[in-house]
Amino acid sequence: MKIYDQSFHAFIQGVILIGFALLILGLILSGNIVYYIAPTMMPFIYFALGTFFLLGIVQVFRSTKKEDDHAHTSCNCEHEHQIRGPLWLQIGIYSIFILPVVLGFSFPDRGLDSSVAANRGIQFGSGISTNSEIAEHGSQSSKEKAETEENEGTSRAEAYLEDPDEYMESLGASSNQSDIEEEDHYQIEDLYDEEWFDEYYIELAEEMLEEDHVQVTEKNYLDVMTVLDLYLDDFIGKEIEIMGFAYREPDFEEDQVVAARFSMTCCTADASVYGTLIESEEASQFDDDTWILASGTIERGDYHGQSVPKITDAFIQEIEEPASPYVYPSY
Amino acid sequence: MNNHKGKLIGKDLLGLGLLFLFLILFLFSEQISTSNQIEAIPNAWMNVNTIFLSIVIEAIPFILLGVFISALIQMYVSEETIQRFLPKNAIAALVPAALLGAIIPLCECAIVPVVRRLIKKGMPLHVGVVFLVAAPILNPVVFASTYFAFRNNPTILYSRMGLAFVLSIMIGAILYSIFRKQPHQLRRTANLSLASHHVHIDGAMDHQSTKPTVGTRVRDTLYHAVDEFFMMGKYLILGAFIAALFQTFLDRSLLETIGSNEYSSTLVMMVFAYLLSLCSEADAFVASSFGNQFTDSSLVAFLVYGPMLDLKNTFMLFAFFKARFVIAFMITVTFVVFFSVLILFGLIL
Repeated sequence: MKIYDQSFHAFIQGVILIGFALLILGLILSGNIVYYIAPTMMPFIYFALGTFFLLGIVQVFRSTKKEDDHAHTSCNCEHEHQIRGPLWLQIGIYSIFILPVVLGFSFPDRGLDSSVAANRGIQFGSGISTNSEIAEHGSQSSKEKAETEENEGTSRAEAYLEDPDEYMESLGASSNQSDIEEEDHYQIEDLYDEEWFDEYYIELAEEMLEEDHVQVTEKNYLDVMTVLDLYLDDFIGKEIEIMGFAYREPDFEEDQVVAARFSMTCCTADASVYGTLIESEEASQFDDDTWILASGTIERGDYHGQSVPKITDAFIQEIEEPASPYVYPSY
Repeated sequence: MNNHKGKLIGKDLLGLGLLFLFLILFLFSEQISTSNQIEAIPNAWMNVNTIFLSIVIEAIPFILLGVFISALIQMYVSEETIQRFLPKNAIAALVPAALLGAIIPLCECAIVPVVRRLIKKGMPLHVGVVFLVAAPILNPVVFASTYFAFRNNPTILYSRMGLAFVLSIMIGAILYSIFRKQPHQLRRTANLSLASHHVHIDGAMDHQSTKPTVGTRVRDTLYHAVDEFFMMGKYLILGAFIAALFQTFLDRSLLETIGSNEYSSTLVMMVFAYLLSLCSEADAFVASSFGNQFTDSSLVAFLVYGPMLDLKNTFMLFAFFKARFVIAFMITVTFVVFFSVLILFGLIL
């Protein structure tokens, strides 16, 4: 068997670790890390950055030690980790590690574009809150579903406004019921129960109704979408201003376009697409993937039998891509 | 001798050259990425690159966490401790293992090195398997994200958590019955070192007079972490790349046409969960974006199957366990999840 050149492998590994650290550092410094990772995950990224530098330096120092260094380690289990095999395999293995670093530096950092949006399928409004219910009532026609849901949404709000205490009690009762159903060993549901959730959106809806127009920002994007879905009726006729990249489904009319955003939970792989339907005579002037700012009036639209919020008589203008192209859940 | 020396210098130059390359890239990254050659690359490949890097960068901190915990277990937890805490009865050990899996907040990237280490330290194989499938789903972060993604449909949340708990025990029991006679399913190199370990322990007794200092312990922990990172990392990166290809080029509308039937949609969502290789903390949101086209049962299958088994995970499993075991594990998990989801939604709910 050939001698395993411990110090050479330690050195190469150390360099690769430092390479990873540099890649992460570069992305953080340029701010382009937002194209890959959601801000909530950043503490983990800083942890990785520090760890890579530390391990890289440790590894480079390890490479300067004599080969008999191994005798001093107290655990005697190092052999299994060695990167062995013929030369081409070793080169292959190290290339796998070098590849993401080189790609990361040499490719431009960019957000996903409308081709990905087309593939993933766009969700009008805040897909999150509506679709689970649609799946449940599979037998009804989708239009009916959308309507019952809408009614439920508004009636819940009304129920709350009429008699908050009773409404909360009934909610509490229903959530208790589901607790009994599944006696899991988890108690965490107590932290996140439905009362808190509904109250949050009712309050937000009230706040939004007080403003003279709905301003959609990166921070409140998903919340506003949810509120519009739940209480669309209350918002009809209200002015709204929203930005996103232009996107069209193949069956769109000439005057229709969507202002779309990618929403990211942890990383780009889990990004999903949200969009607001816009109707405007100017719509055809904007190519897909152009960033647009649209302002107009909220109406109830209908897309493939699904009730969606839409913006009519919109004034559209082209804008620069925002610093943070993604939107994130607000918790 | 001269030749040998020349080789050494060559190797040093190779390492320095690599370091130099990284520094150049770091300093001139902007110029390189705006150059014409790079700009000419089709957009689809840009998207592959973005998704690939994002999976790698997102998973790496958790891999590091996993290898550190593994290294700490290696240094500080003895075989005897593990033996002491485990129930003697093989089947009786399954339930506490699933409960423990629920307490440990590790995702599917971090759990693999930890489980491997525990098995090497003498934890029975089937108990390790319970950890492997239970920990990524039964944890507070996943509970919260599933709750938010399906807040109007708590059935999904409770089915996911309930199934994960029950199925992890079931999968552990099935694998126990298959591999009862051959408990050593880690790759041979690992087994060899396990065998040589005992010899070393005897030898190490002599060294005990010079007790390992804190310094050497810290140093050894770091060494372990690096070695294991390089062992696992290559599989993670390969898996991430293939997952990125699927994410970009797999036409999702194709899935939706298959997805209408109860059985086929459950199967399709399981295949999909496998290929996407999402982190269990985020997959609920992706699942909810499919809510329009898919049934509850297929969504639950997606949410239960994905964290237990996915593309990037498979690569890592093949690295550590014998191929026969990994295949048996994959078949067991697939069948158990598929049928229990159908039974749960067909008969009970």
